[in-house]
Amino acid sequence: MDWQSFILSLELAAITLAVLLPLGLWLARWLAKTSFAGKALIEAAVVLPLVLPPTVLGYYLLVSLGADSSIGRWVLQTFDIRLTFNFLGLLIASIIFNIPFMVQPIQRAFEAIPSNLSEAAAVSGLNKWQTFFRVELPLAWPGVLSAVVLTFVHTLGEFGVVLMMGGSIPGETKTIAISIYDRVQAFDLASADQMALTLLLLSIVAVAASFFATARILKARAR
Amino acid sequence: MNATSPILTGALHVHIEQSSPMPLHGSFQCEAGELMALVGPSGAGKTSMLRAIAGLLKPSEGRVTIGDQVWMDTQTGQFIAPQHRHVGLVFQDYALMPHLSAMENVALSLLHLPSSQRKLKAKLWLDHMQLSAEQQLRRPKNLSGGQQQRVAVARALAREPRVLLLDEPFSAVDQMSRQGLYDLLADLRKELHIPIVLVTHDLAEARHLADSMVVMEGGTILQQGTPAHIYRSPRNARVADLVGVQNRFSGMWLGPQSAQDSIDQVGWLQWLNATGTPSEIKLRVRDKGRLLAGQHVTWVIQGDGIHLDEKTHFTTTNPATCLPVNGMVSLESNVVSVRHLGETTLASLSLPSVLGINLRIVRSGPQRQRLSINQPITVMLDCDWVHVMPSK
Repeated sequence: MDWQSFILSLELAAITLAVLLPLGLWLARWLAKTSFAGKALIEAAVVLPLVLPPTVLGYYLLVSLGADSSIGRWVLQTFDIRLTFNFLGLLIASIIFNIPFMVQPIQRAFEAIPSNLSEAAAVSGLNKWQTFFRVELPLAWPGVLSAVVLTFVHTLGEFGVVLMMGGSIPGETKTIAISIYDRVQAFDLASADQMALTLLLLSIVAVAASFFATARILKARAR
Repeated sequence: MNATSPILTGALHVHIEQSSPMPLHGSFQCEAGELMALVGPSGAGKTSMLRAIAGLLKPSEGRVTIGDQVWMDTQTGQFIAPQHRHVGLVFQDYALMPHLSAMENVALSLLHLPSSQRKLKAKLWLDHMQLSAEQQLRRPKNLSGGQQQRVAVARALAREPRVLLLDEPFSAVDQMSRQGLYDLLADLRKELHIPIVLVTHDLAEARHLADSMVVMEGGTILQQGTPAHIYRSPRNARVADLVGVQNRFSGMWLGPQSAQDSIDQVGWLQWLNATGTPSEIKLRVRDKGRLLAGQHVTWVIQGDGIHLDEKTHFTTTNPATCLPVNGMVSLESNVVSVRHLGETTLASLSLPSVLGINLRIVRSGPQRQRLSINQPITVMLDCDWVHVMPSK
């Protein structure tokens, strides 16, 4: 069992969530509430990471953020920071490939809220933030919860993009998914078994927990 | 306690002009303590008018004031957000928060109070709306339509509103709860000295409840007045149609026929047959000088102006009796249909002297017992109750 990789994966998932959740909430709510001419394009861009082969996504990220690219070179010269083959690069990749998993369930949840509830809140004297925290967020909560679980589990398991962007540097970019592959290549099936099972159980627990929580919320609401 | 103390406010004045995204034109006013009904077919813009008052819709031009406070004035660029208007708005589908209990729903409009006081005050309002302590803890889903509506009204009143807006409050409620709501509304009017605007498409309801009516169609306000005034003298044929005036006929305006007519400010109206040809009947009615002789007109007569006299029985048609005597026109007629509805009776009378035209009457009390089909009857039309308007 490669604990270092396992902890790295958990760290990556946690930081991805911390960055992506507020961003996702904002983007999802905005997409749910507004309609304009180019909205379909933005929605398509949000879904794109879901339909692209992970290696293709990883390849383009590598090409556009690497030290030879204009963005990569500028960031390196200005801040002395590399964007590839380190934890930061991994985090950027993780955030981008998780956008659809975070945004779509939340957007659907916001879309399902009747628009006159926000109006009723406004007439009742609630400002935008009060309406968000007291009306919209509680009502969208099942969607937010499933977005969080999907993003978390998906980050633990992502392989192609991570390998492309991060390589396999122990303690820096070698996540548990890569470690499993590594062990299989080395015919160390016992370690691979252990890690795969850990990942499987963790995923089952996370998904089951989110389903139970959602069911409880909906049941409470029906009471 | 606040739930029973009157909330003082001024009259509501609304003037709105907008052509897009949807047309909205017109102005109306509602005094403090007055119940005003906004009526018209669906899509007439009634709800949009309410939304403009609440500040949920910002019309391209207009002015909304309450007492001496300006809520919106496009000329000066003033616009007070709905959060700061203190409007009590009861949505058509109530718009209660599904994740909150009845009490929490009401408490939500009391966020300006310390949290300890919110539930206490919410409870007072819900008690006032006659919801039991157990019902107050239920979520909206587990309350009946009538109870949900009471929660919505409690939430609106907890705002201590300067104006109460009710959007089709009776449409989703069964007849039993409806009577309870009429009583509730009557009580509220006594307690609250604020303008109350009621949107409805039920004319009987509007007539029954409201002090004044605003008739709307296609986003435009056609007429404002007391129900009695609108039914007696609709501004035009369209208003007569919209408010469902029963006895609406075509005529030809003949104008004053003598010097005496001009002095009396009266003119002559020739009743037209259903085919549009002139009948023998001419009525001497009030002339406001707005109509031209020879003009096609629409005219109405309210039930109050139609009298029956069963004693006289005609044997022959005699047009001479059809000339007005003391403002009354006697006409021979035949009862062609009688429908008994509870305590009232609707009857339809055919008039041999006006072809293809039926007069509809409503009678209650002993008089209705004497109405039977095929019975000849004398109808007397009181020309004071005739209102003539240009045909559209």
